[in-house]
Amino acid sequence: MKRLVMALFAGAATLSAGLTSAHADAARGREVYTKVGCYQCHGFEGQGANTGPRIGPEPIDVEALKSFLRNASATAMPPYSEKLVSDGDVADIHAFLASVKKPPAAKDIPLLNNR
Amino acid sequence: MHEGAPAVSRRNFLAVAAASGAAAVATPGGHAEAQGVAALAKSAPVQAPDHAQMEAEIGTPIKVAATMAEPGGRPGSDYMVDVLRALDIDYVATNPASSCRGLHESINNYAMNKKPELLTAMHEEVATAMAHGYAKVSGKPMGLLFHGTVGIQHAVMAFYNAWCDRVPMLVMSGNHVDAAHRPPGIPTTHAAQDPLALVRDFTKWDDQPGSLQAAVESLTRAHKVAMTPPYGPVCISLDAHLQEGSAPAGQIRIPKVSRVSPAQAASEDLREAARLLVAAQNPVIVVDRGARTHAFQAMLVELAELLGAAVVDQLGRQNFPSHHPLNQTSRARGVATAADVILGLELNDFWGIVNSYSDVAEPRQGRRIKEGVRLISINSRDLFLKSNYQDFQRFQEVDLAMAADAEASLPGLIEAVKAALTPEARAAAAKRTAAHGTAVAKQLERMIGVDATYAWDASPISTARLSAELWAVIKNEDWALVSRDVRLSNWPHRFWTFDKPYQYIGDSGGAGQGYGMGAAIGAALAHREHGRFVVNLQGDGDLMYGPGALWSAVHHRIPLMTVMHNNRAYHQEVMHVQRVGNWRDRGVERAHIGTTIEKPHVDFATLARSMGMEGIGPIVDPADLGPALRRAAQIVKAGDPVMVDVVSQPR
Repeated sequence: MKRLVMALFAGAATLSAGLTSAHADAARGREVYTKVGCYQCHGFEGQGANTGPRIGPEPIDVEALKSFLRNASATAMPPYSEKLVSDGDVADIHAFLASVKKPPAAKDIPLLNNR
Repeated sequence: MHEGAPAVSRRNFLAVAAASGAAAVATPGGHAEAQGVAALAKSAPVQAPDHAQMEAEIGTPIKVAATMAEPGGRPGSDYMVDVLRALDIDYVATNPASSCRGLHESINNYAMNKKPELLTAMHEEVATAMAHGYAKVSGKPMGLLFHGTVGIQHAVMAFYNAWCDRVPMLVMSGNHVDAAHRPPGIPTTHAAQDPLALVRDFTKWDDQPGSLQAAVESLTRAHKVAMTPPYGPVCISLDAHLQEGSAPAGQIRIPKVSRVSPAQAASEDLREAARLLVAAQNPVIVVDRGARTHAFQAMLVELAELLGAAVVDQLGRQNFPSHHPLNQTSRARGVATAADVILGLELNDFWGIVNSYSDVAEPRQGRRIKEGVRLISINSRDLFLKSNYQDFQRFQEVDLAMAADAEASLPGLIEAVKAALTPEARAAAAKRTAAHGTAVAKQLERMIGVDATYAWDASPISTARLSAELWAVIKNEDWALVSRDVRLSNWPHRFWTFDKPYQYIGDSGGAGQGYGMGAAIGAALAHREHGRFVVNLQGDGDLMYGPGALWSAVHHRIPLMTVMHNNRAYHQEVMHVQRVGNWRDRGVERAHIGTTIEKPHVDFATLARSMGMEGIGPIVDPADLGPALRRAAQIVKAGDPVMVDVVSQPR
């Protein structure tokens, strides 16, 4: 698994530049994230579940995210081709994930401290 | 027509006979249709024929006494009640059926609805789920009383769940097998030559006894079969003529009931297993439906601690304390990969421990664990298999297979391990225990201290938040969870401390939907006499298979907090359709079709209220959740069921 992730990141590094989240639209990204069903496994806030890992609010690099989406056929996650999620969509999804509010610290949540 | 008989036309006779029959069944409160026919009969211009007229018309005498009580005799179904009492059956869940009316009446008026007490269910599938949950808490079967044909047909899926989950239940169904005497019309439509053929592939035993003495013996045998590990459902077809017939007092002998000793593994095999486990560098115990009684957990703790063995609990039962340092369930893949000896206790799927299977576009499977790992199995399932349904899973070769009940075999295994342990082995076990404890504590700290915080204030409400809020409400109670929590990402098993043997009962077994609410009610019924605070984490799709279950909980006043994990979908199926859509490069935008429960949303609180249950919600804002749960807790403590509808994240 670790090797797979390394390979994906290496692949991402060789992809053409230009896919950045500089002009990405987080609000649209939330819509796309919901529309293409990311939330089904990762939750509406990208918080993760037993069906998929946490992917927000500090997502992996946008190129790595894109590479993973395109090449996910080796994992439990179904792959998303360019036809299903465009590069622009990926950038917007990334912007949305990056915009998710950071959670409060566990020490500030009484329910997590009085177990 | 024989000579001298009064002249009654065939048409008139049949009309009168039909009207008389209708009048006989039209009782106050009876069906309007029957009453209407009776009213017609009242105004008919002809008199009912006497016996001579009837004999003259059809040429043969009519005798139906074989189905009616003989003077001075005891009703056959009273004897059946005597057997149920001898078998210590406290409850019989039913959906009423004419073919069972004899036994139903005996429970009402002979047993006075006490031992057994009837539980009214609005669907046989719900009744069977109630028996399922009840047995896993009480350790004994509930009776079920159904129509032989349509009732059994309703219950079939729930029987399969019980079969897969190795749960005992005593199913009794009615029939009218004798074509010469059975009533025409619906009772004949509901009659069958072999009514239990339908469920024979996934019940342990069935019978259709031909006499009252055979019936009481069959019931006794059925109970014995059901309660011999591996447990399972059994069915007896009790013909209406046996229920409604009679026998003089003392003529029918109720058999003595004896407990069956479960099969233990051979002592030489247990010694060999002990030798392998003690010599192992990384012994792992994987357990699924190990706990047959409350004694199991303490024995497994003792065995694991002696060996310093990691325990992976597949959560078929409350097998092992959730926060014991050797509980490595959350690290299952890692410990299995590192293992050199694996002991499987009552596993349904040993193959799945040894091998992996990837559900991808081109499925892949392969070995998950190292070559040379020694595999040991103790499994009562090896004592009893059937062919058709494949719930026994893929075949896994092992080094030492013991076809025996794991719980009954543990004392022998523990003694054998004690005898084999050297001081060096004890020291190694202590070292492993410490290492496992450190690893799992670190992981737990990350899960609670980091993972749980994400989406803490989100709406829909996160399953971590839901579990934490619930824990705050129940942690000081004598609580029990009566549903599985995998659909909440196992957060309860991460947050809550499951250490008492009755705090968890596993899942449906066959993964057939429509199990949850009924099973929770049955389990809560068994907990009621102990005064426990019972929680059901209920799936929305699952409840809608049999929402009438809510009425049964209210009617029988069974205290139970149902928390609706309302993700408004058959979520597992959403993911499946989504996955295939992407494999085919068609996308997921239409994956909601046929899989989501939206437009309209189901209002579960109103649904509950419509059946007399207090309904709270839908709770959308996480800030409202704690107060809602605390209010619900007060209702449960007052002895009533309650529903809290929580609009939740998918998992």
